[in-house]
Amino acid sequence: MANQQDSIPPMQFYGPTDRFGFGQLAEIWRTRELLYSFFLRDLLIRYRQVIVGVLWVLLQPLMGMLIFMGLFFVLGTNAGSSTVAFAPIILTGMLCWQLVASSFRDATGSLVNYRHVVTKIYFPRMLLPLASLMCAVFDFSIGSVLMLPVCVYTGTSIVWSTAWLAIPIALWLVLFCAGCIAWLSALNAHYRDVGYALPFVLQLGMFVSPVVYDVERLRNLLTDRWVWLYEANPIATCIGLLRWSLFGTQLPSLLGMAVAAMMTCFICVSGLAWFQHADQQLADRI
Amino acid sequence: MSIESIQLDKVSKRFRLGANNEYGRLTEAIASGVKSLFRKSAVIAAKRPNDSFSDRIEAGWFWALRDIELSIQSGEIVGIVGRNGAGKSTLLKILARIVTPTQGRVGVRGRVGSLLEVGTGFHPELTGRENVFLNGAILGMPRSEIRKRFDEIVAFAEIDSFLETPVKRYSSGMAVRLAFAVAAHLEPDVLIIDEVLSVGDQAFQRKCLGKASQLGAQGRTVLVVSHNLAAVANLCQRAVLLRDGLLVADDVPERIIDQYLSEMRAGDGQRVWEDDDSAPSCREIRLRSLSVMGNRSDAPANEVDIDQEIIIAVEYKVLVADTRCSVQIQVKDETGTYVFWSANAPSMNLEPDPWFSKPHPVGTFRSECRIPANFLNDSRYFVSVLIGPEVGIVSVRQDSALSFVVHDTGAMRQEYTGSWLGPVIRPRLAWTTTIV
Repeated sequence: MANQQDSIPPMQFYGPTDRFGFGQLAEIWRTRELLYSFFLRDLLIRYRQVIVGVLWVLLQPLMGMLIFMGLFFVLGTNAGSSTVAFAPIILTGMLCWQLVASSFRDATGSLVNYRHVVTKIYFPRMLLPLASLMCAVFDFSIGSVLMLPVCVYTGTSIVWSTAWLAIPIALWLVLFCAGCIAWLSALNAHYRDVGYALPFVLQLGMFVSPVVYDVERLRNLLTDRWVWLYEANPIATCIGLLRWSLFGTQLPSLLGMAVAAMMTCFICVSGLAWFQHADQQLADRI
Repeated sequence: MSIESIQLDKVSKRFRLGANNEYGRLTEAIASGVKSLFRKSAVIAAKRPNDSFSDRIEAGWFWALRDIELSIQSGEIVGIVGRNGAGKSTLLKILARIVTPTQGRVGVRGRVGSLLEVGTGFHPELTGRENVFLNGAILGMPRSEIRKRFDEIVAFAEIDSFLETPVKRYSSGMAVRLAFAVAAHLEPDVLIIDEVLSVGDQAFQRKCLGKASQLGAQGRTVLVVSHNLAAVANLCQRAVLLRDGLLVADDVPERIIDQYLSEMRAGDGQRVWEDDDSAPSCREIRLRSLSVMGNRSDAPANEVDIDQEIIIAVEYKVLVADTRCSVQIQVKDETGTYVFWSANAPSMNLEPDPWFSKPHPVGTFRSECRIPANFLNDSRYFVSVLIGPEVGIVSVRQDSALSFVVHDTGAMRQEYTGSWLGPVIRPRLAWTTTIV
């Protein structure tokens, strides 16, 4: 009898609530298998009916790198750092930017594109944008492999003493992306404008962040007084930090890093709260 | 062993009305947000809903459900009965956690499985095998459990040789079989079935019903929404009746079905579109009225005796001269079974209709279709009307515009007093027996 009592699942209550809680995160953890299934699905679908297959993951950042290198070569502009070869600088930027851009793009549409399921079956809706993010992280990790041949080819030496820091820095960037996609995906489910505006914002963002150039080139223009504002953008700070940890370029300003860290926290916490709020009307409004 | 499995405390659900708000615009939301900053009272207080129907709609909001109190023990099979729009599906969606209630609290014990629509979550690009895992996971099955039951699922679906084929190359029948196989092997604590019983073929419906009663026997809770009242009566030990978002009765299925049917009978066998704007119309044709009557009286009636000829009359206005019209009707029964379709074309007619496909002058026309006596069974039937320039081409249509009941008077069953439940039609046919 005691055993039987144990096997009866507890009554779970839910209803309208705006109270912010970390229950959402606990639920995501409980349903991590489904998250994995969604991730696998996104991954499998992406490379169905393509000839080059997973090679696209390597080709995309490589092509991006070559295009901008060619562009700056033709223009005769030096956008790189004064101490490090241009190719690894731009590859770092490209990899990070593709992480941001593809996670934003895929996650924003994730709920809306899957609305036939969202309106029929319950599961933590956060899993869908998170699966998109996981795909982008997967691409990022595979693409990072390119760094070694590019460094060898250009004769760039990696600063091994700080290189391990690249991992926590990349995680910071991923965390920032997670906060942003919580905002974007649920906003897009309510207001489709977000989906239309996103491409322009991404285009702008690519040039506002030091993706195809090194921050060093902007230092003189911005002066020390304003550079922290530029670095308040966590993407800019993360890219700058990654370059510093790998190649020993100049470290972003402390103030900039502090503001960027605060921004990240704010976006994550508010994103979580907004998503929870939006989730309640999701099936009605999507 | 009676453990509460589902508990609803004063659950209400309110929806926003109006197509414009379906996809809200960001600018609108910001504007209304700014406005509400200045007017504190503008925040729509969750007002206690009243009981009268007109209060169901207030200030652009619609109460789909109001103050639902319900408690269901585990092992119970409960049917939910009500007209379209009474809130049945909303109630199920709230139980399945798809929709969050506006007020109140919902408690559910254990895993909820819903067959709200079989096959949701199938991805056409993925193979059968991949889809089984994905779909199972979406339905809430742990991966290990899917792996354990994988062979069983594939055998049930009878698709073994197509396992590595993308689902987009499946026939629709195969896709449905696979989807149902996954859903059937999910073992939820609470199973929700909505209208599955009316889609799919007969065999599929039987499978669904079988699964539901099997789960009930295992002590799991099953909730069924169906228009198939016979299934509700068979399957359930208890039924609730919803009307206009309120739970009005909770009893044994037989009594609930009686009450529901007597509510449905309200109606006078005629539907007139007085208002030109709301009438189904196109540029050339506008529907005016649809009525049903027995041949013994000229007055429309929503109940017709079984031994009476049934006349279905369609009145329509021709707005543009020289429009060609063909009138068609469709008749379905209560369970959604499509009984027949007929048009006034010469080859489908006992006598040719002089106006068929002729250019009509501007004016009002009336087409009558006669359904022979002793043909339909005693049941409720729904009539849809379609008008178009030719048979098969539809420019104006109104689905389930009207319903009528055929009454068994005993006139054609004097030798048999048992049940005639089941067959859709009950024709009087020619029989002869001879010694050979």
